[in-house]
Amino acid sequence: MSSRILPNFDLLVPNSTSEAVNLLAHYQERAAILAGGTDLIVAMKMNYESEILISVSELDGLDYIDFDPNSGLHIGAKATVSQILDNADVKQHYPALWQAANVFATPQIRTAATLAGNVLRGSPAGDCSCALLALGARIVLQSTEGKREVAIEDFWTGYNQNARKPSELAIEIIVDAPQSATGSAFHRMTRVNEDLAKLNGSVRLDMDGNVCKSARIAMGCVGPTTLRLPKTEKLLQNEEITPELLAHVADMVPTEISPIDDKRSTAEYRLMVSGVVIKRLIEQAATAAN
Amino acid sequence: MSQFSVIGKSVPKVDAYEKVTGQPIYAADLKMQGMLYGKIVRCMEFAHAKVIKLDFSEALKIPGVVKVLGPEDVTQTTYNTGACDEMVSDKVGHLLGDLKDQSIFTDHVRHQGDAICGVIAISEEIAERAAAKVIVEYEPLQVFMTPSEAEKTGTHQLHPDKANNMAFQLPEAMFPGNSYGWGDADEAMKEADIIVEDDFYVNKQKQCQMEPHAYIAQVDGRGRLNCWSSGQMPKITHQKIARLFNMPMSMVKIHSTTIGGGFGARLGIIAEPETCALAMAVPGRPVKVQTLREEDWIISESRHAGDYWMRLGFKKDGTPVACQARFKANTGAYFTHASGVPFTTGAWLSGMYKFGALGYQGESYFSNQAPAGAYRGYGNPQTNFVLEQLIDRALTQLDLDPVQWRLNWHKGVGDDGWCFGVKYPSCQLSECLKQGAEAIEWNKKLAEFKNQTGTKRRGVGVSVMNHTSGAMPMLLEHTVTTVMMNEDGSAVVATACSDLGQGSHTVLHQIAAEALGLDMNEVTLKTGDSDANGFDIGSHASRTTYVGGNSILEACDDIKKQLLERASKHLDTAVENLEFGGKTIFAKHNPENSITTAEICRLGVYNYMDPETGEPEGAPGQIFGFSSHFAKHNSPPFGACFVELEIDTETGEIELLELVHTHDIGRTLHPAMAEGQMVGGAQQGIGMALTEEIYYDEQGRAVNSSFTDYKMYGSSDMPKMKVILVEDPDPHGPYGAKSVGEAGLTSPVGAIANAVYNALGIQFKEAPITPEKVLKAIKENGLNFA
Repeated sequence: MSSRILPNFDLLVPNSTSEAVNLLAHYQERAAILAGGTDLIVAMKMNYESEILISVSELDGLDYIDFDPNSGLHIGAKATVSQILDNADVKQHYPALWQAANVFATPQIRTAATLAGNVLRGSPAGDCSCALLALGARIVLQSTEGKREVAIEDFWTGYNQNARKPSELAIEIIVDAPQSATGSAFHRMTRVNEDLAKLNGSVRLDMDGNVCKSARIAMGCVGPTTLRLPKTEKLLQNEEITPELLAHVADMVPTEISPIDDKRSTAEYRLMVSGVVIKRLIEQAATAAN
Repeated sequence: MSQFSVIGKSVPKVDAYEKVTGQPIYAADLKMQGMLYGKIVRCMEFAHAKVIKLDFSEALKIPGVVKVLGPEDVTQTTYNTGACDEMVSDKVGHLLGDLKDQSIFTDHVRHQGDAICGVIAISEEIAERAAAKVIVEYEPLQVFMTPSEAEKTGTHQLHPDKANNMAFQLPEAMFPGNSYGWGDADEAMKEADIIVEDDFYVNKQKQCQMEPHAYIAQVDGRGRLNCWSSGQMPKITHQKIARLFNMPMSMVKIHSTTIGGGFGARLGIIAEPETCALAMAVPGRPVKVQTLREEDWIISESRHAGDYWMRLGFKKDGTPVACQARFKANTGAYFTHASGVPFTTGAWLSGMYKFGALGYQGESYFSNQAPAGAYRGYGNPQTNFVLEQLIDRALTQLDLDPVQWRLNWHKGVGDDGWCFGVKYPSCQLSECLKQGAEAIEWNKKLAEFKNQTGTKRRGVGVSVMNHTSGAMPMLLEHTVTTVMMNEDGSAVVATACSDLGQGSHTVLHQIAAEALGLDMNEVTLKTGDSDANGFDIGSHASRTTYVGGNSILEACDDIKKQLLERASKHLDTAVENLEFGGKTIFAKHNPENSITTAEICRLGVYNYMDPETGEPEGAPGQIFGFSSHFAKHNSPPFGACFVELEIDTETGEIELLELVHTHDIGRTLHPAMAEGQMVGGAQQGIGMALTEEIYYDEQGRAVNSSFTDYKMYGSSDMPKMKVILVEDPDPHGPYGAKSVGEAGLTSPVGAIANAVYNALGIQFKEAPITPEKVLKAIKENGLNFA
């Protein structure tokens, strides 16, 4: 049972990134990072305890969303899901991310929750995470040792686990730049509109006319982490998108996922609909690309 | 122009301004001098177990802990948190086999969440930390969760008097053959040309009222037990608490706090016994017990789930010859409403159609689920899901139109209502069906959908229902009202009728203002104080406007009679010659001979001696009106719901496109709130049909006892809705009004199921109809939509 009372913790509020990483270097696993708090505080009311919370609230300059056609989309670690939704570049160049942000949780949560938090939480049901995996992204981590970048496909290492070291602070997410004919789309299935996904999927296609040059396909709620579907992606590579190909795709998708029964749906259902969802997303992304 | 000046208008809800500005005081908001906090230790690990060790020593070591009370430290009197036991005579209660089988704390855990002991501390935080330090060891017992498991030989008996864990069946002494109905259904069925029959499962749905349960109790300096409660039935709470603690009612005071939604969840009592028991251990100190949502979920009652078998027989021309049904309700771990719901489930069935014969058997079984109880509709949605689907299955076989058949065969004026012997006094169901069919374009859509192609398939469905306005004659229907006329002619209406948020106080206010010829702001309602309010059975069974309203009308008639008598003296004219004209009483033949009601009231109070005559000026005495009103009827409302939906046959997802909700309301007293009741009811009916159910794991523990995983339709999920209120004043209702509280929930359940059937040709026997079930059924039936 949950509680209305939070466990005891010390709240540390660094004023700069360097101060934050120094604190992380010192406290390591003893500290949890507090950004929007929409997952962390709920977890603390359930059973999660952390001796130290390090808040990013006073770190300057991390709430940016900057688009550069060559280097891609740079999203500061404090940028909220609402900001994603309000950003015209995201809507134009990264429709999958915008669509994920658009259905993400509720207006109240979107206003508080950060995109980086969604990625770091690493839930296999994360909507924005799913879109980012399809779009291609890197997580920029900083510690007292310096910065490093981790590709999003290498970032989630297991159920609710990721590659961030306890001494590191995620400071930015960089989303790959679109090609001249890139299209993307996101879709999720839920029990009611305001809900966690029972299954989500996202597709990015780099097109040349009706031929798919390359594809990135992501699906959530069908494994311990959000998954890429490499065999399905390969089916599409350098192929013309035809109803026959999409039928192949729909058959291939369920072979690449390993869903389970849980509170939101059944493994059987997820297997049955996964192909349909990806088939429709490919059609949508191909349309968007042209 | 309307003949009425206040009713029939969407006047501002009396509590609207306060509510939208955050002013009302809910129990959780209350803070009192010296207040302590109680935390109930509940068994969360097991659904069925014996407590073999209970050790408070570690908990008591925590600074700030005042006391810890176990089962031995509180009254040993048992009780029933439901209210049915207070609404029937002891004689009937005995025949029904009603039980008082609940204790404040228990050493026999019968469902997850049963209360073991209670901690009192100086803060909520300390109380919670101490509760976690109470050591409880359990010996697990066999868990059984369904009626079929419960009745199996060898299953643990939850109550010694109830063989096979059958908590209730319609008693032979009242219902020969343990059956409710008419005619010989077995014999009549032999005349049928076609028979449809099936087993259904109806789901366990939670009320999900917005405010989680919270209580405060305090034994004051005079030794009176005060309890702040948001119950729907303050006078029943008053009586139950006084009896439980063996105190005269004069030594117990119930303060009603603002109610944040009820829907049946606050019917009877909930955690008042635990809270009062804790307060009695620390006289003088208020003790607050506030539940978490998950806790509220498992300690308060839900809708009765159950297994529902039904068989219907028809002639080829559609004549319904016989109906047989058996509902095996899952009453959960305690008796609560075990006798009420299995009866009404059949009552609504019997009230609907003109079957040649009907036989209904209603039973309920104990299980280790959280207790079931009252939830808006009280058995009606369960029947709607089963009956309306089976009707449509038969009509498909007979090639008859669902709307036309219902027009031909629904019961109406003069037919027996849900309770035999009480005949329907008014019925506009045919009009509801006609207007609803037109609004949704029934014939056009039905024809269109016959020829549809593609993976998205549309369907339309209809369902009808009958309900009630109060529970007379099955249950006691009694409301007391006093009306006090202030010396300026304005009025204070005192009644115990509660407002759960549905707006009953606004409507009662309107009724009083209309009856007394006053403006809304010249009337005030005094409620929520058990010292000041006379008896009222409580807000349930869609009764408050109907029974409470009639009680107010009676008390206002008493006032008007007294005003006329006074006016007769003032104007020196016989009462028969006088007439009300707004706030003035005048002589019919000489209108200038008049007096205002305000003047009569003023002279009654300020009854000075005239210094010249030595006589009093006018008639002395403040005017009070009184009524102790027993309902004379139950004026059932009817309604028809129409739904259009679209099913994605590749994913099984259902999108509701439009819902047309028609209601036979008698007279609409407040159009906006009546419409609100229909929309809110539809939202809960949709939930029952499509998304809502409490799921349990194999050990009998609820897995979705919060809004993270128990999903209701939100505002963005709702379909386009049209509400049609068909007015035809009922002879018994206040100004002709019938109820609208529960009705809106019922018919959407069957209408949605029937629209799914229309779209796919598949019926779903288990509610809710989820995409998982739909897609599986499409595959299993080998259907290919392209």
